[in-house]
Amino acid sequence: MSLPGWWTIDPTEPFTLGPRQFPGRIWTASGCFAYGLTGHEMKAEGFSSPYQGVGAVVTKTVTPQARPGNPMPRLVETNEGALNSIGLENVGFEEFLAKTLPALEEMGVPTVVSLAATRPEEFGDMVSRLHQAAVGFVHWHGVEINLSCPNVAEGGHDFGRDPDTVAACVRAAREYLPDRALLAKLTPNVTDISGLATAAAAAGVDAVSAINTVVGLEVDLKSGRPVLPRRFGGYSGPAIRPIALAKVDEIITRAKVPVVGVGGIGNDRDALKFFALGAVAVQVGTAQMRDPFTAARIAKDLAGV
Amino acid sequence: MSLMQPPDGPRTMIDLPVMPAASCEGVVVANVPVSSGLLQLVVEFDSPVTFQPGQFAMLNLAGDSALVFSRPFSIYEAKDRRMSFLYRVVGRGTRALNALEPGAALVFLGPLGRPFPQPDPDQPVVLIAGGVGLPPLAAWLDRQAGRHAGEIDAFFGARDGGDVPWDLLGDRWNISLDSLKDLPAGRQGWQGLVTDLVASRQDLGNRKDRMVLACGPTPLLKAASRLASARGWTCWLSLEEHMGCGYGVCKGCVVPVHDASGGPGHVRNATCCTEGPVFNAADLAWQD
Ligand SMILES: Cc1cc2nc3c(=O)[nH]c(=O)nc-3n(C[C@H](O)[C@H](O)[C@H](O)COP(=O)(O)OP(=O)(O)OC[C@H]3O[C@@H](n4cnc5c(N)ncnc54)[C@H](O)[C@@H]3O)c2cc1C
Ligand SMILES: Cc1cc2nc3c(=O)[nH]c(=O)nc-3n(C[C@H](O)[C@H](O)[C@H](O)COP(=O)(O)O)c2cc1C
Ligand code: FES
Repeated sequence: MSLPGWWTIDPTEPFTLGPRQFPGRIWTASGCFAYGLTGHEMKAEGFSSPYQGVGAVVTKTVTPQARPGNPMPRLVETNEGALNSIGLENVGFEEFLAKTLPALEEMGVPTVVSLAATRPEEFGDMVSRLHQAAVGFVHWHGVEINLSCPNVAEGGHDFGRDPDTVAACVRAAREYLPDRALLAKLTPNVTDISGLATAAAAAGVDAVSAINTVVGLEVDLKSGRPVLPRRFGGYSGPAIRPIALAKVDEIITRAKVPVVGVGGIGNDRDALKFFALGAVAVQVGTAQMRDPFTAARIAKDLAGV
Repeated sequence: MSLMQPPDGPRTMIDLPVMPAASCEGVVVANVPVSSGLLQLVVEFDSPVTFQPGQFAMLNLAGDSALVFSRPFSIYEAKDRRMSFLYRVVGRGTRALNALEPGAALVFLGPLGRPFPQPDPDQPVVLIAGGVGLPPLAAWLDRQAGRHAGEIDAFFGARDGGDVPWDLLGDRWNISLDSLKDLPAGRQGWQGLVTDLVASRQDLGNRKDRMVLACGPTPLLKAASRLASARGWTCWLSLEEHMGCGYGVCKGCVVPVHDASGGPGHVRNATCCTEGPVFNAADLAWQD
């Protein structure tokens, strides 16, 4: 694609977000590129690795305790989207801290750590331990607090829908995170997302990531029952891009906080739509699963090289 | 640049050289039926391609018609710049694949996953394939025939005589059929389940050190696993689990496996696409 005239940014150039300089503006979204340790050896014409030009990997969301995740099936495809019910399967905070984060640092992967918890104080605990363990780490750029995972049975659903709770979580994390970027990832499953963004901004985030998945359900006609054992899943992919764009626009115009755009981005054109609205960076989720080089390709295409 | 050079990185648990996966486009050069139920898709790439039997690729349509998730298919053959697959049309993705004409572009990610293990030099091997479980085992047999010193007995279960790709298989396979319908003149088929055919072969009971390699629908895998364990044979199964990414990042493909490192009786979720698709049957914590 020839780049539009209004586009003058090189998204593979460093940019400042809060207290940090990020190496670039095209990131991978949480849960769609594991922890950032996978696939470094993979090949594609014109790329040294799937991480080439990628500004940050947002890790799979890490919770205080390891989680085995939900029963299978965990994924359903629709014409234009994907419904997932992974159930936050993750290695748990202790292993992440002891093994994953040091490995990311050693491999030089620009990292945003995604965290989820069921109480605000837990965010504070995890962030303060990250802060202590990662003194001197140069590739750990920030934390994204996941306030919006719709498919975890014991919480999630309502957790990130209340501006006061969002603010409490942000404050708890911010206290221990003076020198790395703090992002709050917002759920679209609310009537007023800009209210959540305003609360997060007042509590001290450097940016909000929008959006997480949209609550969805698919029915198996043979059995007459929902396909996913937990009934609901998180809907993502091209189908949600217009929803994501609307939410991003709402936040930017009403809440005056930097936005990292997420939702249905699979190529340079999709990413440009978020930048056109004023997003400072974008994340690639579902499309990264189809091709590990998606974010790298977008970065390259938008850099105009 | 050759997209698939030999690796200098770590090897898989199953000690065979595994190429790093490549993400690239290929061009369809053939897409033709090889039996009433199976089609062969041949794809050509810009550079030479290679794989180990048991490995798979994620395939998708190119450009704006791409499906949200690519589809996993076992690699059947690779020669120079061409790779081929055998598939059955079952839903939206395979229907779209079936509609591809020669010249069409195809998105490819592979080779992926852990291959079948290498048997000891003269260890006898039993192959049990059912339906679209055929390609990885046919690939294995193609590589090993004439090279492996141990006996190899190959069994393939199909729906009926028309479902068997006779010309591809040659005369090395014992065929079992759900129905003897459409059996071509001069061809032979045994009616019943392929695992029952294997069980009926008393001569195979003479050795305990046999290795079973199986691929097919879950009931077949379970039956193969039971048979192997009753005979004291080791058994490796290639699982067909639903997959989102095929390369280990989404956790959409987990299978429960026994994990002694977590304490006695501990079961954990293994990632089918990277820890498998080939698993030792003894490791699987089947839930029946
Ligand atoms: C490692 C591996 C190797 C495979 N090798 C072959 C092969 O060589 N030849 C062949 O014909 N098929 C093979 N399969 C099965 C093949 O992936 C499915 O038939 C195919 O994904 C169906 O897609 P669809 O859109 O036509 O079906 P739909 O039912 O419309 O698919 C809906 C979704 O379910 C998934 N799905 C449906 N059936 C299966 C299945 N049996 N296994 C895994 N996912 C499924 C699809 O990928 C898709 O995401 C293999 C599967 C795996 C995991
Ligand atoms: C398989 C899968 C797993 C996900 N896991 C997480 C997660 O652990 N934490 C999180 O904040 N978002 C998670 N998401 C949401 C994505 O990060 C992203 O916000 C959403 O999918 C929308 O973007 P997309 O359309 O580009 O996928 C997940 C999405 C998918 C498809
Ligand atoms: S299919 Fe994504 S982790 Fe296996």
